[in-house]
Amino acid sequence: MGDAMNVAETPIAGPRGRLPRVALPASAMTGLLALPLLLFLLAFFFLPAFRLLIYSVLTQDAQGVVGRPWTFEHYDHLVTGGLYARVLWNTLRISLVTSVLAILLGYPVALVMVRSRPVVTRAITLIVIAPLIVSVVVRSYGWQLVLGNGPTGLMNWVLLSLGLIETPIAILYTETAVVIGSLHVFFPMMVLPLASALGKIEPSLEQAARTLGAPWWSVFRRVTLPLSLPGLVAGFTLVFSLTAGSYVTPVLLGGTNALMLGNLIEQQIFTVYDWPFGAAIATVLVVIVLAVNLLSMRLLEGRRLRSIGQ
Amino acid sequence: MTRLGGPGAWILFGITALIMAFILTPLLIVVAMSTSDTYFASFPPEGFTLAWYGKALTDREFLSSLAFSALLALGATATALLMGVPAAFALVRGSFPGRSFIKGLLLSPLIFPALVTGLALLQLFSNMGWRDARVNLLIAHALVTSPYVIRTVMTSLMLVDVRLEEAARTLGASRLRTFRRIILPQIAPGVAAGSIFAFMVSFDNYPVSMWLADAEHNPVPLVIYRQIVTVFDPSVAAMSTIMIVLALAVVLVLERLVGLRRAMTL
Repeated sequence: MGDAMNVAETPIAGPRGRLPRVALPASAMTGLLALPLLLFLLAFFFLPAFRLLIYSVLTQDAQGVVGRPWTFEHYDHLVTGGLYARVLWNTLRISLVTSVLAILLGYPVALVMVRSRPVVTRAITLIVIAPLIVSVVVRSYGWQLVLGNGPTGLMNWVLLSLGLIETPIAILYTETAVVIGSLHVFFPMMVLPLASALGKIEPSLEQAARTLGAPWWSVFRRVTLPLSLPGLVAGFTLVFSLTAGSYVTPVLLGGTNALMLGNLIEQQIFTVYDWPFGAAIATVLVVIVLAVNLLSMRLLEGRRLRSIGQ
Repeated sequence: MTRLGGPGAWILFGITALIMAFILTPLLIVVAMSTSDTYFASFPPEGFTLAWYGKALTDREFLSSLAFSALLALGATATALLMGVPAAFALVRGSFPGRSFIKGLLLSPLIFPALVTGLALLQLFSNMGWRDARVNLLIAHALVTSPYVIRTVMTSLMLVDVRLEEAARTLGASRLRTFRRIILPQIAPGVAAGSIFAFMVSFDNYPVSMWLADAEHNPVPLVIYRQIVTVFDPSVAAMSTIMIVLALAVVLVLERLVGLRRAMTL
């Protein structure tokens, strides 16, 4: 489609008859329009991220000056220091559980979203997306009120009123609360790509399978599920990455019982003032997120190569 | 599109209804709590009072943070548009080596943990001695919102018929004029949706702002966060409700403008 801009190169460049003076083809010139943003990102994103990486292998002296010698002790500290290692595992576990739950709950919602009457589709879309634009802080506050330990939390109040429990259950400030909160915050990130993938499935494929006598679960397992896999993988990647990097939800819903890497970084920088260690934790977080993203890209890439017509 | 049918469909509908309730409950309880005539935000809410809104709307810190966040989001969105629209144009219409790689680079702030982006910027700014929190926040927010602008504008551009541009160019319109008169009107709804979304991303941002705010310049999520941890009366719920209502208004505008599903997949 870039060739379209080559019109400018042909001698019929219009009444004014100005010929391009530059030797570069017009489509490559168009590419230069990306330069300002690219330079901006270089200065304020790629270079700072790289500097942070460098910090993570440097030493901080008693005066707080960061410099040589080079060292890997901060990484060692993270993996072997009992508390820190536990936070690392917490983060991985919470992210994994959240994304798996998001798949299980997101699939039916996406399915109903794509395959219902327009009114239903619209309503579900609105409900799924609206919270996305509400600040994480507000949503976590809402969960504090719902899960509140003691009889005045909404959930405990309902369960006590129904006589289902005798004494209030304590969910707030546990890992479960963090999973529930993260699930709520990142749920749209699972449903939207899933719905988009499900929407692209050729209806005749499922009809054909059904006409040929396949029961519904077989149609689902052999046709719908495999064809929706790109959306599923994309959703999983998004939810996992975003959960792993969260800060507000674990602080407000997990307290000290479910610290995640984000909270550890904040502590190291703002309370302990240990920049190199904070940088090392940040690097580990980035590596986790990038690994999941690369893995899913590989997965999708491989599928695309095998499928026809794309 | 095959519609759902049979007994299995009813199970799916049931599950979906439950999940919708799960999504709405924490938001509705905040709204319900904001008019509770009690001193603690505890369930069930009792009575009805607008006093907490009075308290929230006379809270100087809250009000000034609302204004600050709005200005910050406006500035960040404008900056992101200024760099993002040309970049999106380059990605869609240009052909140059490594285009998909460049696209990946430009969108990469999206997958990078925002918390780390903020930390890296804090390190940069403090090493450079840049102490103006307003400028620092503006740079950071423009950075975080730019991928949203790029995605929306790219999607809109791909829907523009290239032949119209060709026609304008052959008829002698300059590049700029072609962009202004032919392309811009066609991508306007997409750009508007992208801008609104970018605005909200900035307005709601916590993990980047938490590193860069100072005592005088606090975006609204930081202020509400501090209220949640220190104040236990329903005024926090009133502030949160104001945020929810703002978000709802934005959702409705997006829905009007381009349709919600499209706005999101952009």
